[in-house]
Amino acid sequence: MTRRYVVRRLLQLGPTAAAILLVGFLLIHLAPGDPVLALAGENGDAEYYAFVREKFGLDEPLPTQLATYAGNVLRGDLGTSYVLGRPVSDVIAERLPATLLLTGTALVFSTVAGVAIGVFSATRRRRWPDVTVTLATLAMYSAPVFLLGQLAILLLALRAGWFPVQGMTDARSSATGLSHVLDVGHHLVLPALALAAQEVAAVSRLSRVGLLDELRRDHIRTARAKGVPERTVVLSHALRRALLPVVTVLGGRTGQLVAGAVVVEVVFGWPGIGRLLVTAMQARDAPVVLGVFLLVAVTVVVANLLTDLLYAWLDPRVRYR
Amino acid sequence: MAARRLVALAGAAALLLTACAGSDNEGNETRPDARSSGAPAKGGTLSVALDSDPGALNPAITTSGGTHTASELVFSGLVELTPKLEQVPELAESWEVLENGALYRFNLRNGVTWHDGKPFTSADVKHTFDTMLLKLHSRTAASVGAALSSITTPDPDTVEFRFKQPYAPLLQQLDVTEAPILPKHLYEGTDVAKNPANNKPVGTGPFKLVSYTPGSELRFTANREYFKKDLPYLDEVVMRVIPDKGNQVVALEAGEVDWLFGTPGPDLPRLKSSGKYDFITTPLNPGGSNCIMTVSFNLDRPLFQDVRLRRALGTALDRDQFVDRVLFGQGRVAEAPISSGIPFAHASGLKGMPEFDRAEAERLLDEAGWKRQGGGTRTSAGVAGVPDGTPLAFGFTHFPTFSAYAQLLRAQLTSVGADVMLQPLEPPVFADTVFKARNFDTNIISYCNGVDPEIGVKRMYVTSNIGPVPFSNSSAYRNPEVDKLFEDARTTVDPKARTQIYRTLQEKLVQDLPYLWIVETEANRVFPNTCKGFTPSGHFAEAASCTT
Amino acid sequence: MSATAELAGAQPAATPVGRRPRLLVRSLRTPGGAVGAGLSLLLVAAGLLAPLLAPTDPFAVDGPPLTAPSGAYPFGTDALGRDLLSGVIYGARTSLIVAASVAAMVIVIGTTVGLWAGYFGGWVDDALMRITELFQVLPRFFMALVVIAFFGPGLDRLVLLLGVTSWPLLARVIRVEVLALRHREFVEAARVHGASRTRILLREILPNALPPGIALLGLVVAQVILIEASLGFLGLGDPNVTSWGTLASEAQRFLRVAWWLSLFPGLAILLAVLGLNLLGDAVTDALTGRR
Repeated sequence: MTRRYVVRRLLQLGPTAAAILLVGFLLIHLAPGDPVLALAGENGDAEYYAFVREKFGLDEPLPTQLATYAGNVLRGDLGTSYVLGRPVSDVIAERLPATLLLTGTALVFSTVAGVAIGVFSATRRRRWPDVTVTLATLAMYSAPVFLLGQLAILLLALRAGWFPVQGMTDARSSATGLSHVLDVGHHLVLPALALAAQEVAAVSRLSRVGLLDELRRDHIRTARAKGVPERTVVLSHALRRALLPVVTVLGGRTGQLVAGAVVVEVVFGWPGIGRLLVTAMQARDAPVVLGVFLLVAVTVVVANLLTDLLYAWLDPRVRYR
Repeated sequence: MAARRLVALAGAAALLLTACAGSDNEGNETRPDARSSGAPAKGGTLSVALDSDPGALNPAITTSGGTHTASELVFSGLVELTPKLEQVPELAESWEVLENGALYRFNLRNGVTWHDGKPFTSADVKHTFDTMLLKLHSRTAASVGAALSSITTPDPDTVEFRFKQPYAPLLQQLDVTEAPILPKHLYEGTDVAKNPANNKPVGTGPFKLVSYTPGSELRFTANREYFKKDLPYLDEVVMRVIPDKGNQVVALEAGEVDWLFGTPGPDLPRLKSSGKYDFITTPLNPGGSNCIMTVSFNLDRPLFQDVRLRRALGTALDRDQFVDRVLFGQGRVAEAPISSGIPFAHASGLKGMPEFDRAEAERLLDEAGWKRQGGGTRTSAGVAGVPDGTPLAFGFTHFPTFSAYAQLLRAQLTSVGADVMLQPLEPPVFADTVFKARNFDTNIISYCNGVDPEIGVKRMYVTSNIGPVPFSNSSAYRNPEVDKLFEDARTTVDPKARTQIYRTLQEKLVQDLPYLWIVETEANRVFPNTCKGFTPSGHFAEAASCTT
Repeated sequence: MSATAELAGAQPAATPVGRRPRLLVRSLRTPGGAVGAGLSLLLVAAGLLAPLLAPTDPFAVDGPPLTAPSGAYPFGTDALGRDLLSGVIYGARTSLIVAASVAAMVIVIGTTVGLWAGYFGGWVDDALMRITELFQVLPRFFMALVVIAFFGPGLDRLVLLLGVTSWPLLARVIRVEVLALRHREFVEAARVHGASRTRILLREILPNALPPGIALLGLVVAQVILIEASLGFLGLGDPNVTSWGTLASEAQRFLRVAWWLSLFPGLAILLAVLGLNLLGDAVTDALTGRR
């Protein structure tokens, strides 16, 4: 990985961030009616509207407004939720840990399980376990998150009674210590599984194909010919490079996972930013909606950057233009 | 929600109101009054499901159902209202009504302390009314505020309310829902809306807030200094935000929660037949009672100015289906413009309410000039104010929570040749669109009648109350005769004469049909039958106890 | 963004045009391809013929409420007594409208950008690829949420937004194909014969570059259908058209008493998306010769 590449990749962050800001700004202005309504809601009083007008410079020419808006956002000032009457950044910060826990768990789980399934499948290529797994993962990949969530609730929570139906903690549990951790963990299982399902499928398909490609290569044949045990061939010779395609999609998967988290949080009543976003949309709480959008966009951009750097580090031979 | 909030509980004729809020245990076995059966068990945690995050916990500056449901356990009013709306002492130990109802003097209870240990005095009452209730609590501000001349505090234990003219309903409006009292020492000289105490409430009520995790849960602990002897019995109340009502039932059945403010219709039969739960059926909602789901016509639009069209549409609506399929039996068909929960004003056996008859509806539509073209949407031929060939198509604006009503109405009207476009709008946007901009064709609103037509009914019909206030006269109905009748009803003292006036009024309304009155709604509180002692609202868990 | 698609699009297929039809037919002969094509056809048929196939109007309250699937109501009825089979069939129509409109926009934008970037190279390529990356990074689902928050629900804005944001993958694949094709003999030959640049692009390069793009399109469209359904599930669908996501959203309230209400719309989405994914994969596999 050359330093030039890193620098270039970092420099690209600038235009991307600018584009994201511009999208937010354009939406405020393209929305029907006065932009002050989009920013301050439709039932503020005159005084509040005046304050918002002043703050966002809505009486200034458009370029000045854009600069003001960008300035506010870059300082971390996302405005005030007019429904909750508190700064958007505070409201989001409160809900963020729950979503991070959910998406983080799903990300780790889907990577580990996906690779494991991929290896299982690839080493039994075209035999019935492989065919079954391939079909199952494709179905999982195609299923809407809410269907999986609803089925999980119906079968694993309602019918079998193994897991709680909704929420992050038992309403009766005390909120401290190990029992709290276990309680949250118990509540986390179904939402994390529902969220991870599509990604498990994607990762397993990628790693299966990657591994199959790799196992065809000369150095693998050589290793086999030398009598290296198949297990060692697969796990230490082929897998590392076979995982490269998995890494390339990490960034994109983050975006998918956060989007899926919105639906999962609604299905399972998980108190994260997804549910915050949906409630805010229902109340037309524009500052909160925009705040969440900006946060997600930045997260995805950063995740993509990290992915690219990781990829370049893992595989220095990859040619970058 | 916002529609319900508007309604006042005030009523001049409190004694006549007993029928409208009776609690009714419909469990598998008949139980004696829960409060009196045996000694209540002490201790334990009650777990409660909330529909939405309350956002803030100051009930004096909003009528939001979410805020009130979550915060009323913390606060107290001067007067408590029993489920039958009788007044019993709370922060006020006793009161005198003087000068024919123009002056009220309250003697406050001694030795009451706030949850932070500071003493409660008359200054708290005056401060709460002056800076919050009369300014920001929309119902109390609009009713008491408009009639009040001043509040004085002759000494720390006495408060006097002086009115410009005799004002009868005051005692109905001093409970924790309509007039919670907040501590002056935390609010004085601050910006009320931004005061941190709004999220860390300090009250005089049966429970103290321990923690509030936005979007997730609130925890309360018993106020052991509570001024009502022995209460509360419980040690702890936990409120859990569970937005999906189906999930609330699941949590109830899993034993995770013990109290739901409403039972979803589809689950009601199963819960009832399980033999594990008790119910309180009530027309009280957080923030409103005796609500009628009501369809408005925008009478400013030429399309709806012909009463024959309005009657035809009313006749096309099968309201039994609304009771069965939308409410799942939790309510009844509205038989008159005024709720049956206000017996002295409700006109029973009223002639001329539109009754479902599809053939008749089709005939009325033809007669009004709306002709079928093939099997599809009707078009106009000779309708006044409407160009010939205009399709019978109109919008129907509703809260997203009322979408089942909207979809059933669309299906029923489609079958007589009307094309209905649904327009779901969230409450704040709905209020602006309908009442300020008046940009709608038809809509549905839960108009809560309250306990007296003066406040919950009159607002829908009088000419002076057309926009921009939310949940005012949505149809923009203008009828001087009706205005006059409401005026007469207000100044008539004789109950029989007043009843007669309301009857005449309803006959007029049914003739003109500015609205279609669909169904009267009610809710079922549900709790395990190991618990008892609940009331439907307010300090609902104050006297509750559970055995395990 | 489809992980499968990204991988498939990573290498140019660039098989001469003459052998393509046979390859495509062969891809449909594989079990996956056949099932995929069948399911996709079913979606198109249900969408186009909805008024003929559906027993009733999806909004009509014709039956008893909450009946489990039976002969009279194969998918059961909802709380109001509406026939769920009709709802699912009309839902296919909505999905088809969204999918087809978005696909059309994606083809136009993606092909144009891909052709230009690949053929002209240099700074044009650089600039176009930067823009493509930008669009690829913007989270589509959240863009859609924000747009609906500001403009209200409606299919038109949803199609517009998804169309404008879904093309980058296609553009990249087309570009890679063009890069591989632009110095091939038949292109050089056309150039020597004095064919115009437009003619070369449209007549020589495009037909060869398009098939891998089309294969990819199935995967892109599958994602679009999922996004539309998710929005409907969150209650952000248009109440005046029946959508699978909206049906599933209404079912959530009845999960405990009426399993069929969530199962059938969910299955419909699964099958439609599965079909498109299978088809896309089969065609891609056939084209890249990776089986």
